[in-house]
Amino acid sequence: MNRLAQLPLRIIQFPLRIFRPAGDVNLIRIKRRRAIMAAIGRRASLLTVSLFLIGYLWLLAIPSSQLGRGTYIDENALQPGQVNTYWNWDDVRNADRYLERLEQLRDSNATSEQRVSFLLDEFRKMGLPAASQKYKFTTLSKKNAQGKNVYAMFSSPRASGVEAMVVSASWISRVDEGSGQLNLRGVAMVLALAKFLKQYSLWAKDLIFVLSDGHLDGMHAWLNAYHGSTQTNLITEPLMLSSGVIWTALCIDYPGHSFSHLGMFHEGLNGRLPNQDLLNSFQRIAQYRAGVPVIIYDHLDPRDYPELRNDILPQWIPGFLRDDHDLITYAYQARNVYRHFRYQASGRGSGVHGLFHQFRIDAFTIFALPAAGPHGFHALGGIVESTLRTTNNLLERLHASFFFYIMTGPERFLKIGSYLPSGIAISVAMMFAGLKAWVEAAKTHRTRPVLAVILKYMLPTHALGGIVYLAITSGLVDSVPKMVALCLIIFVSPLILVSAPKPAERIAPLAAVLKALSLCFTSTVISIIAVLNFSLSATLAAILGLPLSLSSPSTSLPLRFVKYALYFGFGVGWLFNMENLQQLLWDWQALNIWLLPFLCLVYTPVVLQASIVCLL
Amino acid sequence: MTEKTWSPTSRPTVSASYAFPAMVAVRLLVALVQPFDLIHDHQLSSPLTSYRNLQEGIHLFRNGIDPYSGGVFRHSPLYLSLFSTLIPKSKTFSAVLWTLCDALGAYALVHIWRARQGLGKHAHSTRDELVAGAYLFNPYLFLPSVALSTSSFENMLALLALMFASQKKQSKALLALSFLLHTSLSSLVLLAPVLLLLLSDPHSHLASPRAFSGDLKRLPSLMAEFLLYFSFLAVASCLASGGITWVSQTWGASLTLPDLTPNTGLWWYFFTEMFDHFRPFFLMVFSVHLLIYTAPVCIKFQYDLLYASFVLFGILGIFKAYPTLSDPGLFITMHVLFPEVYPYLRYPIVTALLHLHASLLMPLFHNLWLAQGTGNANFFYASTLVFACANGAAVIDALWAGLRIALGEEKEGWVIAQE
Repeated sequence: MNRLAQLPLRIIQFPLRIFRPAGDVNLIRIKRRRAIMAAIGRRASLLTVSLFLIGYLWLLAIPSSQLGRGTYIDENALQPGQVNTYWNWDDVRNADRYLERLEQLRDSNATSEQRVSFLLDEFRKMGLPAASQKYKFTTLSKKNAQGKNVYAMFSSPRASGVEAMVVSASWISRVDEGSGQLNLRGVAMVLALAKFLKQYSLWAKDLIFVLSDGHLDGMHAWLNAYHGSTQTNLITEPLMLSSGVIWTALCIDYPGHSFSHLGMFHEGLNGRLPNQDLLNSFQRIAQYRAGVPVIIYDHLDPRDYPELRNDILPQWIPGFLRDDHDLITYAYQARNVYRHFRYQASGRGSGVHGLFHQFRIDAFTIFALPAAGPHGFHALGGIVESTLRTTNNLLERLHASFFFYIMTGPERFLKIGSYLPSGIAISVAMMFAGLKAWVEAAKTHRTRPVLAVILKYMLPTHALGGIVYLAITSGLVDSVPKMVALCLIIFVSPLILVSAPKPAERIAPLAAVLKALSLCFTSTVISIIAVLNFSLSATLAAILGLPLSLSSPSTSLPLRFVKYALYFGFGVGWLFNMENLQQLLWDWQALNIWLLPFLCLVYTPVVLQASIVCLL
Repeated sequence: MTEKTWSPTSRPTVSASYAFPAMVAVRLLVALVQPFDLIHDHQLSSPLTSYRNLQEGIHLFRNGIDPYSGGVFRHSPLYLSLFSTLIPKSKTFSAVLWTLCDALGAYALVHIWRARQGLGKHAHSTRDELVAGAYLFNPYLFLPSVALSTSSFENMLALLALMFASQKKQSKALLALSFLLHTSLSSLVLLAPVLLLLLSDPHSHLASPRAFSGDLKRLPSLMAEFLLYFSFLAVASCLASGGITWVSQTWGASLTLPDLTPNTGLWWYFFTEMFDHFRPFFLMVFSVHLLIYTAPVCIKFQYDLLYASFVLFGILGIFKAYPTLSDPGLFITMHVLFPEVYPYLRYPIVTALLHLHASLLMPLFHNLWLAQGTGNANFFYASTLVFACANGAAVIDALWAGLRIALGEEKEGWVIAQE
């Protein structure tokens, strides 16, 4: 009876008991905390391994259709394709005439002076103020460039000219990353567009037509002069004409005599991307108003062109899978993502448009994919006109946080939340591995020699990286033998640093503490640059994640040296590709692409630290 | 607890006697070279400490316009009189001045250290160079100084007040403190610990807590002396600026937050988002919240008021109205004064990693928002939240360690629990 009477009370108490069990509260709390810590401790390796697994699998899943979604226009003001365009056959004829003159200049091996005076004349004949700008790079690198840009301004008839849009073409096309094919049709197109666009009074922003010399160098010089940024190794003439703040820029690249598709190239310097709305607007206009299929880069979609399937799919894939739609889609999107990663991680971007982004200008290149047909000036002119009308509608800059994305196809993309966790998971796994090493170092009440590790190993390795950087940028090391000598010095110096670390009873081994701190540092760097240059961060996570977590000293001396040498080679291997190094040097000194200092000051030192861990 | 002693040597070694001038020389070199243009950086100077605003105020003042009538100049009239009369308005001279002010701060910190160890004023200890280096080469203190933020002056004044209080120089300590309060009202938090420190001693009693040992009867006279200096400076300020408009523009600014320029603190974004009719209430909450820590911290650490002021510096660095990096920087540097608590810090690696993340994220997100334009204000705000977490973790570490040390080393089979 008594028990029965207590039953309701017990029922009420039951949930309370779970959250606040009877007994000494402190004791319970300590027990609970210990149980949780022990559980985490037991599963630390499992947690690390599963995070690594999730991260690597997620990286592989980025091209999958499951993660992506279709593109859409976020900014309502853009209204792409809502206007009637006026570009017509007589404008095409103008473009053809310009092209003839340009071809004559090319065939007569005209000097750049002659070319510039021709372009200036043509702009002036249209009644546009035009000017030229000479520039010269004086970097240490062997591929120094000089040239002369031509540009013309059309002042907006409807506004005060505080904002501007750029239409540009570089003299050298982006075919084979600017290897020398001329972009004659692109230049003719810009001339014809200038003549055509100035007839209309609907422009609310100034139009600036820029015909830059070279591939990247000319536009870099022009943009630097326009924005008044100084660079010690670049001599430029000041610009005679000026306009307002540039909001958007289109770069036209038309190397063939006709085109079948229009490709979009969008990656900028140092991993910066343009606002996705701009790309989406262009894609909508070209695809649905003008009927020109849009592709990403110069990659044709194998789902539309079955004959391309064999190029995209590796040989080892069995025959019955080769027609699988999902597999082909994955392979196609993987190819796009891989190309994107290469452009973004290198920091070099994918063309002339990439130079604009650093000045907060959204820009991309319209690449006319060379083909026998069916499209030409007529289609391209209408598309560019309509795209300019769309950006002309903007009342404020494109913002809407549409700057973080990966395009997996012309109409599909990944939002930041769908791709960021891949690299971050690996970085968190590295952090856990580092913290585990940290905790284990202090077992049996040993103290951790933190200051000694930082002062004796971490700072010196970064200083060695600084020496490598200085050696490269000062031009002292410009050949393989000199590089071998430099690397030998770096190879030997840790051996001196390592000299006889006395194993003490109450001091944790240096290797464990070094590994812990180095892993934590690398993990931090990877997570931080994920928002700046995701491709670089993901690449670093992929190549450093496992090697750094697995570095450990071994008992036998020869094995230690073998491991040390392997890690060392992994850390400095990139230095021996002289051609690539020259490119990196030019990128850094001329275009401020920070991949070279990053590799010298972060990547190599971090791998060197892992190699020292093996040696200690 | 066996206390480690820092051997006093009557004469410094040759290398040690050159170390301090050498460090100052390096700092001076960097200040003169000015490798980056940092003056406009929001993280290094707030509207209350910005060098640009100071220059504008001086310019207005010299041209006979009341600098406090606009909404730009928010420096104390003491700065105004100092810079418009004695000190030339040249950038090179300013670089030297700011470096000297940091050198004086480092000097004060070294003397606080010596006083805490019970060494004589002229006795050198083996850690002196480390203490000075921790102040001169802490990037959080170094960069605002290169950016000519007047927060370097505030830090110097705070350290001078603590140094004089540790050395029992009552009048000097109180004078330094009233200068400090004039330049930054939020430092009111430090009033109680400095007064109590004058009444007790600066030595470490963390390992052996006891009741407050000083003579509290002297407190009213100390308070009176402080108020005398403080009102004297207030009158001087009124005379210098020719009115009392400066009160609302300088002290009022840290209470009413008129300028929402982004900084590393927690106030600006919160009040950007705030509906106007809630503003006065939350301004009151934020201001009182800052002050409320003084009493519990001073009561808990009544046996070691230097430690109490150390903890309060940490709280100021998180919750102050217009902080710059030098506020949390001073707290981080002051860790060097308390080596006895290092073994008891709770999660030092977590705190260090949080600080590493925050110190990389803040400039990055600031750049994404204001230079590249790919991010927005939320990015930078998120990074300042990480920074606040890092500072909070550091304060919790310090509190835990300061209390935990009294219980001695951990015994096998025993656990310490917090009630």
